Amino acid sequence: MNETLEKLSTCILEGDSEAAPGLVQQALDDGVVPKTILDEGMVVGMNEVGDRFRRGDMFVPEVLMSADAMQSGLEILRPELVSSGVKLIGKVVLGTVQGDLHDIGKNLVGMMCEGAGFEVIDLGFNQKPEAFIDAVKEHQPDLVGMSALLTTTMRAMGHTIKSLEEAGLREQVKVMVGGAPVDQAFADRIGADGYGSNAVAGSDLAKRLVGAG
Amino acid sequence: MQVKKTNFTVNATPRFSVLTEDEIEQIYFSALSVLYETGVRVYDQEGVDVAHAGGAIVEDTTEDSSLVKIPPWMVDKALSTLPRKVVVIGPDRKHRMELFKDQVYFGAGSDTPFTIDPKSGERRRATYEDVKNFARLAQALPNIDFHMSLGIVQDRAVGTYDRWQYLAMLEGTTKPINITAVDLDGLNDQLEMAYIRLGGKEEWRKGPIFSLYIEPVSPLSHSEEVIQKLLFSADNEIPFVYTPCPLAGATSPTTLAGTAVQALTESLFGIVLAQIRKPGAPMIIGGLMSNMDMQTTVYCYGSPEMALLSAAYTEITKWLGVPMYETAGCSDSKMFDAQAAMEATINIATAALVGGNMIHDVGYLEQGLTSSPELMVAANEIIDMVKRILRGIPTTDADLALPVMDSVGPGGHFLEHDHTYKRFKHEIWQPQLIDRQNFESWEMSGSKTFKDRVHERVLEILEAEHEPLMEDKMFAEIKRICELADERHKDEELDLDMFGPG
Repeated sequence: MNETLEKLSTCILEGDSEAAPGLVQQALDDGVVPKTILDEGMVVGMNEVGDRFRRGDMFVPEVLMSADAMQSGLEILRPELVSSGVKLIGKVVLGTVQGDLHDIGKNLVGMMCEGAGFEVIDLGFNQKPEAFIDAVKEHQPDLVGMSALLTTTMRAMGHTIKSLEEAGLREQVKVMVGGAPVDQAFADRIGADGYGSNAVAGSDLAKRLVGAG
Repeated sequence: MQVKKTNFTVNATPRFSVLTEDEIEQIYFSALSVLYETGVRVYDQEGVDVAHAGGAIVEDTTEDSSLVKIPPWMVDKALSTLPRKVVVIGPDRKHRMELFKDQVYFGAGSDTPFTIDPKSGERRRATYEDVKNFARLAQALPNIDFHMSLGIVQDRAVGTYDRWQYLAMLEGTTKPINITAVDLDGLNDQLEMAYIRLGGKEEWRKGPIFSLYIEPVSPLSHSEEVIQKLLFSADNEIPFVYTPCPLAGATSPTTLAGTAVQALTESLFGIVLAQIRKPGAPMIIGGLMSNMDMQTTVYCYGSPEMALLSAAYTEITKWLGVPMYETAGCSDSKMFDAQAAMEATINIATAALVGGNMIHDVGYLEQGLTSSPELMVAANEIIDMVKRILRGIPTTDADLALPVMDSVGPGGHFLEHDHTYKRFKHEIWQPQLIDRQNFESWEMSGSKTFKDRVHERVLEILEAEHEPLMEDKMFAEIKRICELADERHKDEELDLDMFGPG
């Protein structure tokens, strides 16, 4: 393996956001193909992070540091990937639904998805169905993710999916839902495409839904 | 009487402490800095206006919220009118909580989406019948002093489930209740229900039968719904719990002291707002502070940090002179097992020893997502055991028993002594569910585990004959409020059954 790519992979694993952009740039300067930088440098590091997390050798704050490093590297690499015609993994619009101010779970999913290479558009909390519709129109995402902590606000997930249908946008996105009182049965019932029981499951689901998992 | 002794102190109870007064002051004055310099975000115009009129600095106003900063003098002023004692009395006028320094009461937690079926042991969505059953358990268990809805009623409309929960609890218990409300309308309805149960507003004023649970969102955010409930409660003499649930490492600093500072900041804002609105408004602050598990990202209900933080916060509230909403009797286990018993025991003992007032969440499993009848019944026994420890070891002459030892002398025994006969029942705690038989007797009685015995006790309570706690006419009148609410809110519902079968 190219030495720079090895350094880049280690830098992602160690969560060094400051070093990542420089290493990406160095690899580009060395003439390494953008897709190779992604697959053989950054993704190798991030996969190791995932393995260590699953083994219980890494913890959430460390994983998020790695996700940050991944993001900072991607800022340099993304335009190069796009101009060389590589399709990025996907784009996710995320939000906590109307009536709910709880967003820590949604934030975690967002950070995990960024770590997996997704572009994440975070709408924030207390978002009306119209906000999701506007975001889908504007950003043309592959995925819409919704979160709720309360059973009363869980309803808003159903209302939002219905609004997406009425706006004729439902077919163009996959919808994933999560939050403490949500389960698979509820997700099925409101017509979501998937349910994630935690942040890691959420980003794994996102990958599956775009056919990359 | 001839005095021959001086400087003699007595521990009528054991003593347990986490923080010194200096440390408490450090946390308190830090919270005042956060309140004044960082400020809190308030998503309710009326709340912002009330705070502003009371002297707060209002800035960074957006479409839906403002940043509100509270100078320290406003906190001093608020604390000067904050009641140091809050009383909630059940509708039978017998079961009561007198909440103030070092008074210990235990009760359930609230609003779990799931429950464990008392018969089959299956984990499923909670229903009206479950909430009623838990209330009946609370009524039957002597160490449960107040109650909350151990399950979200999910076989009724979603937007009005709070009224149905209250009705189910009123059917099952006459102990004080700590309610939740989905919104202001839900609170208003439940207050009407309570007036009917009690026989009018004047009766309520003599002793409210419920308190209200209000939870601001960490970090430092107070939603419209939360502020509206707070103002309504202050206006209507409803005691309320103002309890943030910061999650150390995620929605508050990962350090426990930092989490305590933030939680106190969040509660102090509630105190200030309520006391401006109505000086003397009764409040209880707390209550659930824990850490995020950095592997699973869950909110830990069984961690030592939860017990330790709650204990530290209790000491802060004692120093402040405000009743405390403690947390114990809960676990992260998925079922009632050894982990559940272990975690519940640790947090029950810690909360009781430190002197938490309104100690809630008895019966919580799975980070508050599931309620367990078995854990509730087991907790009753754990609390009983801990209460024995609270009684300490008195050392009066009668307790020291020198004449008794003198009369028995070396080599005798005490089993037949009057002193034993008169005192053993008080002195030695007798378990109800814990087994102390020898192996042969235990085997002869069916080789039952603790879990088996707890399970049998649950069924025994639930299957016992019981008289209705309300007359039919009163029940119908209260139920009518629930039905009218369903009618008013039916447009908010999804056109599908959210939780029912299929």
